[in-house]
Amino acid sequence: MARDLMFQQEIKETVQQAYAAIATGAGETVARRLYSDQELADVSPGAIAWALGVGNPVRYARLQPGQAVLDVGSGGGIDTILAAKRVDSQGRAIGLDVLEEMCERGRGHAAQAGVEGWTEFRQGEMEAIPLPDESVDVVISNGVLNLSARKSRALAEIFRVLRPGGRICMADLTVEGELPPEVANDQSAWAG
Amino acid sequence: MAERVFAGKLERAGFADVWVGGHRPFGIDQAALYPLFTSEVIQVMRQTIPVEHQDHVATGVIVKAAKPG
Repeated sequence: MARDLMFQQEIKETVQQAYAAIATGAGETVARRLYSDQELADVSPGAIAWALGVGNPVRYARLQPGQAVLDVGSGGGIDTILAAKRVDSQGRAIGLDVLEEMCERGRGHAAQAGVEGWTEFRQGEMEAIPLPDESVDVVISNGVLNLSARKSRALAEIFRVLRPGGRICMADLTVEGELPPEVANDQSAWAG
Repeated sequence: MAERVFAGKLERAGFADVWVGGHRPFGIDQAALYPLFTSEVIQVMRQTIPVEHQDHVATGVIVKAAKPG
């Protein structure tokens, strides 16, 4: 058990260090692959440059004006901002990221997109979401759950903060079969 | 994490109506776009993953589910 906890902590620290070490946004190529021209026009260049997701959860989330949406692992905020545009000023968009510097970037990008009035970014972990029970209608995330060493705990937290009838819409990567051990054991593969 | 494992974790957390769709292959060339993958691990992937699988190392999916009302 102690060894498992040490391993979980090692994964957590590796992922956080990897994200913190990204000096400049390198996500434009990723963003152009995942988002439409119209979606990219709705967000700032900074949010595009920090797009590091693996899909486009907002496109599938069927968000409605007035809803409260939580973006778990919001990074530079591109999905939070796209969600904020859809829930509109009657709603609320919350980005959650473990790194305060990412939250700060997200705040700036939200202001540039004109959604700062109903969008906030909170520093925190997906395994201990700093929100009350049953406080959001929809949870989105983009390539984030796979980064958790405690996925069941993160899902339990997402379940807790959702209102009854609430929904999740997550983009992520799945792997069938085994990766070569040289890849599976590489620390940068954990973060990626 | 395999797709069936992901779905199982959601169900064990209490979610219902689990849906997995939007499948898109994710290969080494896509991984190389992300700064989180070092050039070293990309090189290791190219050396250790069979060439015929290099364009589909993982699968991008959209997962939806609901908290029962």
